[in-house]
Amino acid sequence: MTRDLWKHLILILGALVVIAPFYMMVSYSFKSPGEIDRGEGGFFGRQEMMVDERCVKLRDPDREDVAAAAPRFPTQTDSQIRDALVAEAVADCQMRPIVFNYSKAFTEAPLLRYLLNGVIVTASIFLIQIVVALPAAYALAKLRFLGREAVFSLVLFCLLIPVHAIALPLYIMLAKVGLTNTYAALVVPWTISVFGIFLMRQFFMTVPDDLIDAARMDGMGEFAIVWRVMLPTAIPALLAFAIFSVVAHWNDYFWPRIVVTGNRDLFTPPLGLRAFKGDGDGSFFGPMMATATVIVTPLIVAFLVAQRRFIEGITLSGMK
Amino acid sequence: MAIAEPHTPVIVSAETAQRRTAWWLTAPALGLMVLILLVPVVIAGLLSFTDYSLGNDTFNWVGAKNYDRLFSRSTYEKMFVATFIYVVTVVPVSVGLGLGAALLINSMGRIGDIYKTIYFLPVMATLLAMAIAWEFMLHPSIGMVNRTLEMSCGTILEIIPFLKNGCADRFPLWLGDKDYAIWVICFIGVWQGFGFNMVLYLAGLTGVHRELYHAAEMDGAKSGWERFRLVTWPALGPTTVFVVTISCIRAFQVFDTIEAFWPQGGGPNKSTYVMMFAIFEKGVQQNLIGIGSAITVLFLIFVMFLTLIQRWLVERKVHY
Amino acid sequence: MADLQIDHVTKTFGDTQVLKGISLDIADGEFVSLVGPSGCGKSTLLRIIAGLEGQTSGAIRIRGQDVSGIRAADRNLSMVFQSYALYPHLTVAENISVPLKMRQLSAAQRLPVIGPFMPGARGRNAEIAAAVKHAAQTLEIDRLLDRKPGQLSGGQRQRVALGRALVREPAAFLLDEPLSNLDAKLRVQTRTEIAELHRRLGATFVYVTHDQVEAMTMSSRIAVMMGGEILQCDAPDEVYNNPLDIRVAEFIGSPKINILPVEASNGALRFGDVVLPTVAPKALKGPIRIGLRPEALRLAAQDAVLTGQVVHVENLGSEIFAQISLTGYDGRVTMRAAPAQRGSLRIRANIGLAFEGHAALLFDHNGKRVFNPQVAAAQSEVA
Repeated sequence: MTRDLWKHLILILGALVVIAPFYMMVSYSFKSPGEIDRGEGGFFGRQEMMVDERCVKLRDPDREDVAAAAPRFPTQTDSQIRDALVAEAVADCQMRPIVFNYSKAFTEAPLLRYLLNGVIVTASIFLIQIVVALPAAYALAKLRFLGREAVFSLVLFCLLIPVHAIALPLYIMLAKVGLTNTYAALVVPWTISVFGIFLMRQFFMTVPDDLIDAARMDGMGEFAIVWRVMLPTAIPALLAFAIFSVVAHWNDYFWPRIVVTGNRDLFTPPLGLRAFKGDGDGSFFGPMMATATVIVTPLIVAFLVAQRRFIEGITLSGMK
Repeated sequence: MAIAEPHTPVIVSAETAQRRTAWWLTAPALGLMVLILLVPVVIAGLLSFTDYSLGNDTFNWVGAKNYDRLFSRSTYEKMFVATFIYVVTVVPVSVGLGLGAALLINSMGRIGDIYKTIYFLPVMATLLAMAIAWEFMLHPSIGMVNRTLEMSCGTILEIIPFLKNGCADRFPLWLGDKDYAIWVICFIGVWQGFGFNMVLYLAGLTGVHRELYHAAEMDGAKSGWERFRLVTWPALGPTTVFVVTISCIRAFQVFDTIEAFWPQGGGPNKSTYVMMFAIFEKGVQQNLIGIGSAITVLFLIFVMFLTLIQRWLVERKVHY
Repeated sequence: MADLQIDHVTKTFGDTQVLKGISLDIADGEFVSLVGPSGCGKSTLLRIIAGLEGQTSGAIRIRGQDVSGIRAADRNLSMVFQSYALYPHLTVAENISVPLKMRQLSAAQRLPVIGPFMPGARGRNAEIAAAVKHAAQTLEIDRLLDRKPGQLSGGQRQRVALGRALVREPAAFLLDEPLSNLDAKLRVQTRTEIAELHRRLGATFVYVTHDQVEAMTMSSRIAVMMGGEILQCDAPDEVYNNPLDIRVAEFIGSPKINILPVEASNGALRFGDVVLPTVAPKALKGPIRIGLRPEALRLAAQDAVLTGQVVHVENLGSEIFAQISLTGYDGRVTMRAAPAQRGSLRIRANIGLAFEGHAALLFDHNGKRVFNPQVAAAQSEVA
């Protein structure tokens, strides 16, 4: 029993270190700038009303505003009216820190757009990968043709080349055809997944030949067999591969950083967060951490919901 | 049944049709493989012998000048040193921690799943977002790390020289200090990657037969360490080869953290100027395609060399 | 329903000739088994008939029409596979309906979601559903229609595979070792059911198996294949009683036929020093072999031809098989005896054996059958 206690002690210590940045990220996204600076307020912060200085500054009344407001304050001098207006502005700009942080995250930068881009890019990458890899994997696993061995050797060789490593020549090629700063640039290098071909081929090898012959007897052509027989039987493997692919590309920062410059409409979530950090003065910690939380949360939640599938998917490469 | 292999094509419609469809099915994958993976490798190889820049119409062949530069300038020496330190630190530590965590968790039944989930979180999370979270954690004045360290001041823990110096003077700047920067990067690399290794090891451990442990015990392997040496470690051989290789390849590709912390220059005194960052800075930002390509080529050689070693080890029967 | 003609079909894989010119005519409504040891080419032949593989030379004719070059799907044949080959993602009903949907629905009508709303799709789908229901009822699997193959037992999967084959009316049914994945008890039961199904449908069946019992019990004719050739194709009792080749004699029959080396000269046969009661054609000379079925041997006291010692006895209840080591000979012979004779068949008991002269099957030095005059006489008597 004491030995188990030691084990738990070690593991808990590790868990604390692992969780610390997550804890801090979420906690900061709840707190007011003051609380962050002073390091107080526990996990949730005190959630006292705070004033958004920028909002107040934006509503700073000029001479016309004062003149316009004069009828509402008939007996007062201009400077009194001015003070009253400022007070109103301050009152209107009050909010809870958590609301402040998350509303800033979505309004200061087009975070929704970034998220949408992330979805578009990861989804297109995955779909194209499947459309390209599945037929090839089927042919390599189940059809006899001259050159099959050569094609498969090529697949094995290409497994050696990490796409990130050849980012520079790819970038040059895309620049030459004028495709940088487009969705295409974000998607194209990932359309071919040699790993996907390899993985699916290994899976298809385990599908009995009888099943394919039965489909042929039933009147299906080879294309129909790929999509109507092989695809449905491969759903578990495809799901794992989907997780592998989506996690990799949702989180990818290096490639988008290279091919998307300036055009914020194309920013993926990590790029958006990076830009947020670059723009912000140091006091923007709260909203920035809110942005980070928003970006990290979808995958973490999905992971917590379907843990086994995720671990299977991410460690897919272990099947090699 | 009957005879299935090997087949040579016979001039009869069933086979011919199959062969034709097979090529149609593989053609898209084949084309993309060549265009996106092979052509860039060749381009990188060629450009590494030129002084090409994007936007120029012409370029000159400069022979091995780019490679000469790589091996003579101190900047690139720093690049190799930083990459080397990172890989050589992160790989063994993250593999070791992964194995240790897997062994501990594997020995404790269902409750261990909680730790597994926690340790796997960093693998799922967007590294760039977590890098920014770490940056706040390590903030010299308001960061959680130094705040935690400060709490030890005035307590018995002050006998530790590091804490004593810190309390007397100030705690490290971490990211701003050239003596610490690379180690912080290494630490985050380990933090992010060891959960992945742990999961692979856990999968490997399920393949070890319970009876082998009983046999080892009967044979006189009394201590846990002896049983580990006799049964566990050999059985994990294939997993280890794979885990080490994939950790190496991932370690070589470190970029997100460095770009997040130091968008320019590669850290204090270029102490974290790793290869991926160098490719990005030279090739993409400064448009020095020749030198960027040369680094790319070296990078590819390292990575391919590692993978080939792995395949060789696997073929040399680390399987049992 | 249709007749099938296999005309000098050969198949070569690389350097190996797997089929060496097979010819076989299968009449409409016949149940023909292709039986032989593994590697004899029987599955390849079936796949060539199906159109899943092409022949190197020769022709396959269905209803007299050459189908070489016609795709498997267009030959109008049904096939049941050894591993059943059910689509794992489809329910039983959907599995059975696939061959009908592929043939009777247009590509648009097969589209997911919108397909059923295409013009004409509704009527067709109703027809298909009725056909599936009917097939399922025939095989008594109508309760399983909504399940997925993964939820079925081996026997049930086998029936679904059959159902998929008989949901339409093909020219012929091809069955590739359909019982080999079932346990022994279920195999016997399904055997009967397939035979009954054949009788009821009156369709042409081509059945591939390595199990001679299956072939014997179900077929109208058995084609025994070895080394890429058909050695003999005849009715089951003909193949059993009158094998034309020593390999056929050895393959068919369980326990195996007893083969003894004998010396022929001048119409007489000698086994060692013993003269056998069998008459041989006068022209036959030199060492040949004779085959004796276990049931041809009987216990004998005075008129014993062979003597030996009982070395092993298998009691099956209804009958006894005894292995006897012959005096002056290295090998053993197996005899069948009635349970009543158990007393005399104790281990290490010395016994005498006899057989009727016409029961011995003669094979020349090439293993080809030689008809002895006694058999001809015995057969003419029966007639």
